[in-house]
Amino acid sequence: MIHPIQSSLATKDGTVLFFVVKNTIHTLRWEEGRGEFVAIGMWVDDADNSDTIKAKVREEQQRQLAENEAKRQKTNDGNSNKPSIKEAKVPVPGQGAPPVFKHIRNMALSRDETLLMACTDSDKALVVFELDYTNAENCLKLRKRQPLPKRPNALTTTTDDKTVLVADKFGDVYALSTKEGVVQEAALEPILGHVSLLTDIVVAKEADGKQLIITADRDEHIRITHYPQTFVINKWLYGSKQFVSTLCLPSWGPNLLFSGGGDSLVHSWNWESGKLLDSLDISEIVEPYLGDAQLAPEKFQNETNSLIEYAVAKVVTFANIPYIAFFVEQTKVVLICRVDPDIGAITLAQKIEMPFNIISLSSALSANLLTLTLDNRDSDDSRFAAFISYDGTEFLVDAEKNNAFEKCVLHKFENDPIVNVEPRDVYPLYHIASLRKRGEHFS
Amino acid sequence: MKAGMSLDDPSSKRQAYRLKKEENRKELKHVKIDAKASSEKMDLPRKRFYRQRAHSNPFSDHQLEYPLSPDEMDWDRLYPHFVDEATGAMTKEVTIADIGCGFGGLLIDLSPAFADKLILGMEIRVQVTNYVEDRIIALRTNHAETNAYQNINVLRANSMKFLPNFFHKAQLEKMFFCFPDPHFKQRKHKARIITNTLLSEYAYVLKEGGVVYTITDVLDLHEWMVKHLEEHPLFERLSTEWEDQDECVEIMRNATEEGKKVERKKGAKYVACFTRLPTPEIV
Repeated sequence: MIHPIQSSLATKDGTVLFFVVKNTIHTLRWEEGRGEFVAIGMWVDDADNSDTIKAKVREEQQRQLAENEAKRQKTNDGNSNKPSIKEAKVPVPGQGAPPVFKHIRNMALSRDETLLMACTDSDKALVVFELDYTNAENCLKLRKRQPLPKRPNALTTTTDDKTVLVADKFGDVYALSTKEGVVQEAALEPILGHVSLLTDIVVAKEADGKQLIITADRDEHIRITHYPQTFVINKWLYGSKQFVSTLCLPSWGPNLLFSGGGDSLVHSWNWESGKLLDSLDISEIVEPYLGDAQLAPEKFQNETNSLIEYAVAKVVTFANIPYIAFFVEQTKVVLICRVDPDIGAITLAQKIEMPFNIISLSSALSANLLTLTLDNRDSDDSRFAAFISYDGTEFLVDAEKNNAFEKCVLHKFENDPIVNVEPRDVYPLYHIASLRKRGEHFS
Repeated sequence: MKAGMSLDDPSSKRQAYRLKKEENRKELKHVKIDAKASSEKMDLPRKRFYRQRAHSNPFSDHQLEYPLSPDEMDWDRLYPHFVDEATGAMTKEVTIADIGCGFGGLLIDLSPAFADKLILGMEIRVQVTNYVEDRIIALRTNHAETNAYQNINVLRANSMKFLPNFFHKAQLEKMFFCFPDPHFKQRKHKARIITNTLLSEYAYVLKEGGVVYTITDVLDLHEWMVKHLEEHPLFERLSTEWEDQDECVEIMRNATEEGKKVERKKGAKYVACFTRLPTPEIV
C-alpha cells in the first residue's frame, strides 16, 4: 500500500502544493488549462542520525566521566589518580526497540513564498529550502539544515522574512536567520520560553508595524510577547479550558485570533484588547462523528466506558472571505464557520464529510481552497486527499482536482520504495490527543 | 516511595494525624475566626508528620488547582479579614509573593512587618503546603484577639507554569526566591526558578520599582541567578548598602527554615536583590 499523506501546504494562489509522506516532501503544480497536477520537485530526508546519536552519547559519557572524576578528587582531596579507562559504549537499537520515525513536520512558507521551511525529526533540525521554479527537475533547493536542542513543534517567520521563529516541545522559541550558515547548538539562546510544551506560534502586526509573537502551550496559555523585545510580555489571553493546539490569525478581522484545542470550544479573541470575543461550543456539532477513537484511554476511562475526549487539531482561514475551517482529530468531518469580522462571533456554516478520517488541513489563502489529507489506509490506494473550494456562495468538494491528484500521486508513487509500505509500518498519524494532561503526579 | 507508603496503613500515627488536620483545614481555612469563640489555644503543627520528598518536578502534570485567570481567583477564601462585608469585594490585593515558600518561616516573619499588605506563599509540594496551612490556621486561632497573621496565606501551585493565572500585570511589589532548589546538573538548569525566559514573566507581574529578592547557600546558584538577572534588560541589581538598610533582607537572612539550617551549619548565605526597571519604549 501507499503510505497516507501526513500533511500538505499550498501557496496562496493554490497553484503549488507541497505534501509530506514519511520522510519525503513532494511538490506538485496545478496546471489549470490541462486540469492536472505535475510533479515539480521532491526532497528526501536521508540524514543518518546514528552518527549524531553516537556523538551525543560519547559527549554525555565524557561529561559523566569528568563529573565522576571531579567528585572523586573532591572527596579524596586529590589523592586519587586512578585514571578512568572505560571506553564509551554506544547503544545500538536491536530487536524489540521502538521503531524510529523520520517525520517531517511543520511545513511553512515564508511570507513572500520564496522559501519553504520544515522540521525534521531525525536530528530535530530546521530545514530551509529555496523555491526555484525555473529548475525543471527539482524546485526544492536545500539552503540550510539547522539542528536544534529540542524537538521543534511549530514555526513561522517574522514580517520581513529574515528570521524564522521556531517553537519547541521544551517550551522555548529560537530566532534563526533564513540565510545560509548554521549556528552551533551550544550558541543558541531562546528568545522566549514557557515551562510547557509549545504547540503553535504566529506573528501578529500592530497598526504601526510593530510585531508581536503569539505562542500557545499545553497548559491552556496563549501568550503575547513583543518582538524583537521578547523580554517584554504584552499579555496572556485567558479563557482556554484545556491545552491549546492551534492558532489562526486572519488578515480580514481587526486584531482577531482564533484558537482550538482540547476543550471542545473554538475561541475567537481580540489580541489587542485581550478579550475573548466568542467561543463556539462544538460538542453537539461533532457528536455524530465521534467514535471509538475518541474514547479516553483505558487507564483514564470511567466505569461505564463512556468518557469521550477529543480535540480540534487545526484551524485555518482564507485571505479575503470571513470564514474559518477546522476539524477534530480522528473524525471525517470538516467544519466551516462564518465569522462576523467586527465582533468575532462564530456561526457554523457548513459541515462536509469525508470518506475517511482527516489527517491534516491546509488552506490556499487567496484561492479560497482547502486541502485535506485523508487516512486512506482502508481504501486500496485511493482518496489520498480532498480539495474543497468556494464558489462564491458555498464550499464544494472539487471532484476534478481530487481525481487529478489521485492520478498524479498513483503514477508518481507506483515504484517508489519509500512510500510503498506494509500496513504495520505506517507512521503515527495523530499527535494531538496525547497533549491532554492527566495530572498523574500527586507529590 | 518509602516515606509515603504508610499513607495506606490505617493504623499509622501519621495517617491519623494527617486526616485530623485535613478535616481541621476544611473547617477552619476559609472562615473568619471569632475572637470570643476561640479561647482554646491550638497546637502548632508538627513537621515530622508532613515529611515528603524534598523535590518536586516542575515539568510534570500535577493535580493542581488554579484559576482560569487572575480575575477568577477567590482571594476572599484566603484572606477573609480583608473582605468588604458590604460588597463582598477584597479591600486589598496580594502584593508580596514568596515563590517556593517551603515551611513558611518567611511568611510568618513578614506578616507583622507588613501588616497592611497581603502576602502569599506558593509551594509545589503538597505536604509542605498542608503544613504551612495548618501553621497559619493555628497562628490565626491563637492570635484571634489581635487578628494577627490574617494577611498571610499559602497556595499549592507550580509558579513556573501558572504565575500569570494568579497575578495581574504589575500587581506585585516584592517577590522572594529563598533557597531555591539548586538543580546542580547542567541539563537540569531549565528547572531552576531563575532563568532568562522565566524572568520575563516575573517582570510582567512586578510593578516598576518592585524588588526581586534572592538568597541561597549555594555559590554556584547565586552566581547563576545574579548572571541571569543582570543580563535581563528589565532588572538592575541593588547595592549592598541598599541590602543593609532593607528590612526584608534582614528577615530573609534569618527567618526561613533553610536559612536557620544554614546558620546552624555556619554556612554562607548569598543575597542578591534586583529592582524592576521601567519597561522601555517598544520598537
